[in-house]
Amino acid sequence: MAILGTFAYEEDFLAAAKNLTASGFDNISLLSPVPLEEAQEVLGLDKSPVRHFSLAGAIIGAISGFAMAAGTALVFILPTGGRAIITIPPYLIITYEMTILFGVLFTLLGFHFVSGLPAWRDKPYLSSAGVDKFVVVVEGVAAEQVARADAIIRDAGAEEIKHVEDGQ
Amino acid sequence: MFDHGQPSYADVNKDILSTVLETGPRYWLLLGGTMSLAGIFFFMPWIYQLYVGVGAAGMNRNAVWGTYLSNFIFWIGLSHSGTLLSAVLHITNSPWRKSIYRSAEAMTLFSLMTAALFVMVHVGRVWFVHWSFPIPNQMGLWPNFRSPLMFDVMAITTYLTASSIFIYMGSVPDFAAVRDASTGIRRRLYTIFSFGWRGTAREWHTLGWAYTFFAVFVIPLAVSVHSIVSWDFALSAVPGLHHTIFAPYFVTGAIYSGTAGIVTVMYCLRKFLHFERYIGQVHLDSLGKLLILLSLIWSYINILELFSAWYGGTSLELEATKFRLFGFYAPLYWEMILFCAFVPLLMLFNKIRLSWNKMLVISILINIGMLTERFIIVATSQPRKFLPDAFGFYLPSWIEISITVGSFGIFATLFLIFIKWVPSISLYEVKETLNPLRRDT
Repeated sequence: MAILGTFAYEEDFLAAAKNLTASGFDNISLLSPVPLEEAQEVLGLDKSPVRHFSLAGAIIGAISGFAMAAGTALVFILPTGGRAIITIPPYLIITYEMTILFGVLFTLLGFHFVSGLPAWRDKPYLSSAGVDKFVVVVEGVAAEQVARADAIIRDAGAEEIKHVEDGQ
Repeated sequence: MFDHGQPSYADVNKDILSTVLETGPRYWLLLGGTMSLAGIFFFMPWIYQLYVGVGAAGMNRNAVWGTYLSNFIFWIGLSHSGTLLSAVLHITNSPWRKSIYRSAEAMTLFSLMTAALFVMVHVGRVWFVHWSFPIPNQMGLWPNFRSPLMFDVMAITTYLTASSIFIYMGSVPDFAAVRDASTGIRRRLYTIFSFGWRGTAREWHTLGWAYTFFAVFVIPLAVSVHSIVSWDFALSAVPGLHHTIFAPYFVTGAIYSGTAGIVTVMYCLRKFLHFERYIGQVHLDSLGKLLILLSLIWSYINILELFSAWYGGTSLELEATKFRLFGFYAPLYWEMILFCAFVPLLMLFNKIRLSWNKMLVISILINIGMLTERFIIVATSQPRKFLPDAFGFYLPSWIEISITVGSFGIFATLFLIFIKWVPSISLYEVKETLNPLRRDT
């Protein structure tokens, strides 16, 4: 069972989220039309692991950028005016660009990995959360816990409470 | 921030989504016009040039670079303010960015695409353009990464990829809003576009981090792209091009012309999509002040370029400078100085800086000046190398002029398609500038 509580005001929504987590409900999603730092704090979200992806991408990009420029120069030797085949200054430019390219691509990968998107499977959602409402979603609530979760959400000032079966 | 009173959250969704969901005959008429402009003026002459050969353009033995390359620099330059400005203002947390950044980023993307088309037009045999990428092939042939042209390929490919990802990721929550407001096939499409976004705290948190990292990557990238474009010229030993100041000169010019481009685009969005409520005086004022600053930096670099030629005292540099100031193209040079150094000073007056119509005129004049600047760089240096027998003369042919005009049709077409698929103002970022939904507000 999933319970969706709709709130008009930010502080009521945050109060419901805090009380639910304090009462031991751990499968909670907090839906809002704008990013809310307090909501992220309630769920204990601090530094995102996305940054590790960015760093890894940048390092891999730098290494592969230089390797590509140097490697292709070695397999297709093009002597120019007695200059070295592997020339550092121009290859640093290629390295720089590839650092950024891979950094961006890995950050994208990190975003998908950490956020769990794409999520094509239907999840409990109310479209009003994309306009001007805040929605607390508690999933996987056992039948005997429903009344308690309902009470917490209602006491916090929910405008509406909806029950749906999990996965709907 | 808002000229006509603060809208509610629901108003923001209604006003902005209506530009995606409702399409009137005026839009189709405009789209038909821009597509015709692109087709007749850009693609038909290009097909003709592919048929008869690149000799149909005005380029010749001593002037092997022409309008195609100057247009390439112009469009790359125009792309600069969008993503760069958006990223810088995101990092510095400037609230006035929020209403304008989406369209500015789109401008970046479509300017880059138009610029890339000019490379294809310039190279002549466009069907070999994939040779510039390091693709394994049966000839064992690889690109020469020591060449500034290969720096260009890498930089522009990276910039195009990063800008596309930057704008797409920022749009994901808004795609979800379009999904929720639509039905049928459109709903299914936007479900895919939005990756199933619900607006959970975890999704916002991850997007916030990822977006900041995108911004951090994009800022040095944008600076590197136009520096690299400048090295296409400055790394040659041609008088008039071989300056160490070229990289900052190009980057400043790019941001300058791009910011002027944003003013033009914002005027059109405001006027035709009725965004008066979201794009107001504060945006115009901030963009105007930024333009004044950029015009002063641009003027300083131009003076410095003349100074270096004079102080260096080499006859070749002096000759190139003399030709630029008093030669055949001198009227164009002085037109550029008028439009880019003097006209922008009018924005020092509040009455002018806060008037949309006057700012539109100034922004267009700046970009005419910047288009001229790029033409002067190409036309007055490369065909005036060292010895008089290597001197050439370049005038664009009707094909080049037509393709130049048609490129504006391509840009406008892409932009018009964009505003029908993507909310051209970020819904959630505008909502962030409104009073929060709290009991006390």
